[in-house]
Amino acid sequence: MSRPVPLLSASGLTKAHGRTPALRGASIELHAGEILAVTGASGSGKSTLLHCLAGIVRPDEGSVTYDGRRLEDLPEKRLSELRRTEFGVVFQFGQLIPELTALDNVALPLLLAGTDRARARARAAEWLERFGVRGQEESRPGEMSGGQAQRAALARALVTGPKVVFADEPTGALDSLSGEQVMTALVHTARESGAAVVLITHDAQVAAYADREVQLRDGAVAPLGVTA
Amino acid sequence: MSLLRSDLRLAWELTRGSDRGEWWRLTLTAAGAALATGFALAAVTLASLRGNTDVSVAAGLLDEPGTRSGVIVGLLLLLVPVLGFLGQCARIGAVHRDRRLAGLRLAGATPWQVRRIAALETGLACLLGSAVATVFSVLLLLRLWDRPNVLAWAGIALVAVAVPVLGAVTGALALRRVVASPLGWVRRVGPRGGRGPGLLFLAGILVVAGMALLTVATTSTAAADRPGGGPPLTMMGAVLAVGAGAVWLSGATARATGRILAVRARSAATLIAAERLRDDPWSAARTHAAVLLVTVVGTGFLGIRQVLGDVVRTEEHLAASESYYTTGLDLTGAAIVIAFAITLSGLAVGTAESLATRRRGLTAQAAAGVPRTVLGRALLLETALPLAPAVLLAGLGGMTIGTWYAALSGRPVPWATALVPLAVYAACLLAAATSLPLLRRTLRPGELRYA
Repeated sequence: MSRPVPLLSASGLTKAHGRTPALRGASIELHAGEILAVTGASGSGKSTLLHCLAGIVRPDEGSVTYDGRRLEDLPEKRLSELRRTEFGVVFQFGQLIPELTALDNVALPLLLAGTDRARARARAAEWLERFGVRGQEESRPGEMSGGQAQRAALARALVTGPKVVFADEPTGALDSLSGEQVMTALVHTARESGAAVVLITHDAQVAAYADREVQLRDGAVAPLGVTA
Repeated sequence: MSLLRSDLRLAWELTRGSDRGEWWRLTLTAAGAALATGFALAAVTLASLRGNTDVSVAAGLLDEPGTRSGVIVGLLLLLVPVLGFLGQCARIGAVHRDRRLAGLRLAGATPWQVRRIAALETGLACLLGSAVATVFSVLLLLRLWDRPNVLAWAGIALVAVAVPVLGAVTGALALRRVVASPLGWVRRVGPRGGRGPGLLFLAGILVVAGMALLTVATTSTAAADRPGGGPPLTMMGAVLAVGAGAVWLSGATARATGRILAVRARSAATLIAAERLRDDPWSAARTHAAVLLVTVVGTGFLGIRQVLGDVVRTEEHLAASESYYTTGLDLTGAAIVIAFAITLSGLAVGTAESLATRRRGLTAQAAAGVPRTVLGRALLLETALPLAPAVLLAGLGGMTIGTWYAALSGRPVPWATALVPLAVYAACLLAAATSLPLLRRTLRPGELRYA
């Protein structure tokens, strides 16, 4: 029986920030609809791995393949388009534009894709409601709680129907209750839409939401059970 | 003394460990202080002259007290764009600097220590700029004037000391909110609608106006055959009134443009720019007001210049030599060009600072797939949208001055001046566009790694 082809795969990734190596030959596979947690100690290369997988940075060596396409071969414009249409990205905080309302922030990817403003806002409102941020449509990020802002950011990442969601410590700046709400919303929506999720976290409770967990140690994937 | 030394050492260590933005701030602050010192030194040196004097430069324009007062007022007016420029410089890295100093407060520094450290940072940069400008100005003065009088030396010493002292005081006062609330600053939510023109800037304008009043009152003596201090002071008052109107007009147009476009925006770039304008219209107004002031004065002046030049060429009996008038016009033109260059520098610095402050958010946008071209367009639109109606109005104001003067002299309307607002607008967009290469450098994935 043949193994299913991964939606996203990386092999032999190396990346250094100046003289400091962040990744040393990391390899990873992600299948469609799978929720994968990448855990590891601080400085183990988790965020750098996510940046390489999402095409935000190019690795020094190795290759990332998404849906049969090598990301290293794509020009920056095409990578931007890919992140806008087929990927969704969520960070710890700071991804919402502070001057835009929650509704306009969520509608932004649709506007960029050429959707009419009124329709984009209507769809954004649906997504905000789905993530329990109803009533905050006209609030700006600074006027919302951390949990509400993060759920709005999730709505923004998922509004275009991405195939892969990259979440870098999405609950890192939240209290446990808000973190739980954010994770429940993320997992529920990903299951419903069939999106795969790469979840970067150092929190075992957050990693428990995933189908599978890989651990990074010193820039490479370590067998589970081996601690840093 | 040892306390001051330890604060000085800490200020130096903090600056040394800072990023490039902090060094840019200090360098540009020193350059601004040098310009302010240069203009103020020229003004006080001219103010030290008494009665009719034979001055070897400016074709006799500086010989009489009345016209000399006009030149002094012109030099003092040049301090206004310099103050605006220094205000923009103070905003470079302001968020990071405020957090750093708030961190010092949290680590146990007293409010006075924090103020002293901030004052030392800014004051020393101003001292450097002031010292360089003073040395060059004195060397130039000694070539033109064998033995400057005591009043001139006293004025030079006063300016050389006052510029760094004022810089230090401004640096300390700018931190009043951080000092008051070290914890609150770390998680700050700005008020919707932004803040109005800074009190420090307004105080600076009042100081300039006060200096002008003082110098004109002490240097000009009215006589039957020559003008006294009235016309220059009227001009000063008119320019400052237009400036105040320009600040209001700029803020109002930015707010109105943001409000109208935010509802109707169809593209992402327009939406981002419009909402940013609506969120803080005064941020743009501070820089744009100087642009509007220069547009009014520049358009009006070019109209007057065209008419007056025509009069000088065609009139047979002039009260003074032709070069007297042309030198006056050339000097005024040069002053306006200098003011415009300083204003454009302030605009470029302001746009770059706005980028640097938002770099983390912008990097996150780019990481989420927002194309760089959209971010670049939004950045340009933040300058272009509110400036278009405001420059148009300012240009009309300037043209009215030129048309009025032409009618007064029975000469044709100087239509060519209609090109000035267009040229100003294009120059402003170019100045804002100088930040676009910085946008590319700003969008570094490293920004996504830290809080």
